[in-house]
Amino acid sequence: MNISHNWLQTYFDKKIPDAQKMASLFPLNSFEIEGLEDFKDEKGKIIDTVIDAKILPDRAHYALSHRGIAEEVSFMTGLSIKKKLAGELPVSLESKPIIKIENPEFCRRYIGRYVELNKDRLNIPSWLKEHLNAIGQRSINPIVDLTNYVMYDIGQPLHAFDADKIRGRIIIRAAKEGEKIVLLDGREITLTPADNVIADDEGPLVVAGAKGGKRAEISETTKRIMIESANFDPTAVRRTSTKYDIRSDSSKRFENEITQELAILGMNEICALLNEMMPGSKFGQIADEYPIKAEQTIIKFNPEYLEERLSIKIPFERAKEILESMGIKVSVYLSSGQSSIWSLTIPFERLDLKIPEDIVEEIGRIYGYDKITGILPPKVKEAVKVLPIYFLSEKIKDILVNNGFSEVSLYTLVEKGDIETAKPLAKDKAFLRKNLTDGMIACVERNSLNADLLGLQAIKIFEIGHIFSEKDGEQVHLSLGVSQIKKIKGFKSENIIDEAIKLLSIELGLVIDSKIKLLQKGNCAVWEINLGDLLKDLKVPVSYKEIAQGNNSSNRYKKFSLYPFIVRDIAIFVPESVKNEDVWQKIEQGITEAKSLDLLVRHSLFDTFKKDEKVSYAFRMIFQSMEKTLTDDEANKIMEAIYSLIKKEGWEVR
Amino acid sequence: MENKEKGHLHPITQIIREIHSIFNDLGFEIADGPELENEFHNFDALNIPKDHPARDMQDTFWIKENKKAVLENNERMVLRTHTSSVQIRYLETHKPPVRIIVPGKVFRNEATDATHEAQFYQVEMLYVDKNVSLAHLKGVLETMFKKLFGDDVIVRFRPSFFSFTEPSVEVDMQWKGKWLEIGGAGLVHPNVFKSVNINPDEWKGFAFGFGLDRIAMLKFGFDDVRFLYNGDLRLINQF
Repeated sequence: MNISHNWLQTYFDKKIPDAQKMASLFPLNSFEIEGLEDFKDEKGKIIDTVIDAKILPDRAHYALSHRGIAEEVSFMTGLSIKKKLAGELPVSLESKPIIKIENPEFCRRYIGRYVELNKDRLNIPSWLKEHLNAIGQRSINPIVDLTNYVMYDIGQPLHAFDADKIRGRIIIRAAKEGEKIVLLDGREITLTPADNVIADDEGPLVVAGAKGGKRAEISETTKRIMIESANFDPTAVRRTSTKYDIRSDSSKRFENEITQELAILGMNEICALLNEMMPGSKFGQIADEYPIKAEQTIIKFNPEYLEERLSIKIPFERAKEILESMGIKVSVYLSSGQSSIWSLTIPFERLDLKIPEDIVEEIGRIYGYDKITGILPPKVKEAVKVLPIYFLSEKIKDILVNNGFSEVSLYTLVEKGDIETAKPLAKDKAFLRKNLTDGMIACVERNSLNADLLGLQAIKIFEIGHIFSEKDGEQVHLSLGVSQIKKIKGFKSENIIDEAIKLLSIELGLVIDSKIKLLQKGNCAVWEINLGDLLKDLKVPVSYKEIAQGNNSSNRYKKFSLYPFIVRDIAIFVPESVKNEDVWQKIEQGITEAKSLDLLVRHSLFDTFKKDEKVSYAFRMIFQSMEKTLTDDEANKIMEAIYSLIKKEGWEVR
Repeated sequence: MENKEKGHLHPITQIIREIHSIFNDLGFEIADGPELENEFHNFDALNIPKDHPARDMQDTFWIKENKKAVLENNERMVLRTHTSSVQIRYLETHKPPVRIIVPGKVFRNEATDATHEAQFYQVEMLYVDKNVSLAHLKGVLETMFKKLFGDDVIVRFRPSFFSFTEPSVEVDMQWKGKWLEIGGAGLVHPNVFKSVNINPDEWKGFAFGFGLDRIAMLKFGFDDVRFLYNGDLRLINQF
């Protein structure tokens, strides 16, 4: 919610902390601040600062308004609120709306009042327009601006009708099946009995609590208005406004539930403003239908509870002071010797305060959570029970990692499966995966492309994750994915998987079934099993000692390039006495002379063999740029530089 | 043959193991539960009723209603939005006192970018006993963060709101001079105990949940959370 600092200041006589200071105080005592923005006038001068506060559902009952925020400021700073709420404006016009509430479980209170406008003397002061503009509200027409002002000021949504367009009585009721209404934005919607409307004898005028209809819209020619200040059931307003996509700042306040007691305050405020800004206007009698009265909450609170829940000794006087600053009446309910139980009378708008735990939070947050000192819970004597599936998963991870497999974690939401999400993020992410194999195959293939870059002779990866099938429900599976890159006679990807399965069987002490799924393209082999099948025969130890715990890698991430890499091999015949390190040094020198040492991302000696009195060393080099795709030409230039140095040494490039 | 070289554990597994080791020493058990949850365990039992604004606090992947799919007795199914659902399942089958941590994958229906993915890992902590205060929560968190990030880490609480805790707090950690938002916590709301037939006058508790992906990014230094889920060995083999 946007808060204008200037608007907030109007509540106080003394100067409140500046916006920057507030933005640092609020998070520690009240709510998160999402941002601060300067507000400039037409000339570009900064005249206000807007604080964007994140008001969560509990405080939304009272703090979606500048008055509510001002209360928070007063709790935090101790400054008292000086601005008074308007009293009831006397009657100067006989007429009174006829209000009928047919569904009191939906409409707990409805207040209506006619106002005959004196538009000749209309004067909306600039400060009011500036306040509204600062919080992002554009000016619509003077009446709507004032009703908006009251909503953002004290949190009561209001509605104004052109009274001369109302036919007969005001009826609050459920909509009839198929009943239509044209909204203020011109859209026509068709309602059902699950929706509620403010109607006249002719039909719906407003979708209650959410959006007004065009029929009784305020226009330039409006002479007489009827003001509505009401209270509606939050769940019904939320359902209806979501269904037709007509959520508004009004519906938001009703959805979060506000007290019925606010309705009369809202009516008084708008009348006071109209009286001030359109002097000479006449105000009719107030019609106030109030079928479901607000109940005042009383909480029995034992102040000892504070120390039990916060572990801080807050002086009872201070606790009482904090509560009283919130308008909570503190009286002693029961007293015996030193201890007493308080009876707390909660202000109507504090719908968030219902149980003693809520009181602990109110006192704790204002007193300061920084006063809490951490203590450890008592030591536990019994050994911690081992969870079989966790033990099994982690043991398998250790066995596989020790044998060269790396662990991956892939996407659960994929292109096909048995179970579908209702509103997917993308067409290819609409289903829950029914196996690990599909994702694993793709992952092996992607990694195979980088085998040289990674310096791997084979891609060996595994995943332990959940799958979801119509037949078997949710299961935890293990998949192994292998691709043997370096060609070794008689050695295929399936062999690696075979070995891994044998190893798992031995080290887990279990018989594991192996069914290998071989892909035709490339030489990728993938295997998958349900870990749940292994649980029944698993010997679960009494502690986790067997699995490696803790000790993360202390490596820091090195950014890798997303551009393609180029592989170049070089084999050089040298006299027997020359060591491979010497040969590499020369090669590196060549690369340096080509000003390309930063492009060398990996190198390895991959072959050595002796012939006569010479030895051949073969190196593989991977070149890659962080900024662009290297061309063959650029790689060739580097090779040229290397060749020329090698030649100078008198060595032979094969 | 290069096959003698060791492979690499996923960064998230490494973080979970470290956290597990810290909490094992504090007497916490590991608990586990389904990723595909029903509405009751993910929302209602956690004091988040239908049509309540609190449901807006999490973008949810609801499952399409379909006769062919595996649905539990007319309950709406959802990809769990937090591991808190496992707290409920555990409390339904275990009597207090309770100390558990729940590492697991969770899902949020929000747009993805370098710091947000639709799936990520969380760890949930639940402690239920006769005398529990926010000070116990702070003590446990300080222990964990110091072991993960070093002794000069400072932990602070800010007031917040979650339906399943009261008081509720946001937990921040100060590390290398900066304040970082880590997760949410609080004292277990009496309504949560009531939903699993535990007497809230007798038993109290604290709960804490935080995302592991962010912790992994802080610890290891990579800057794009999506690297965690595309199985790219160029990332995984660095650690």
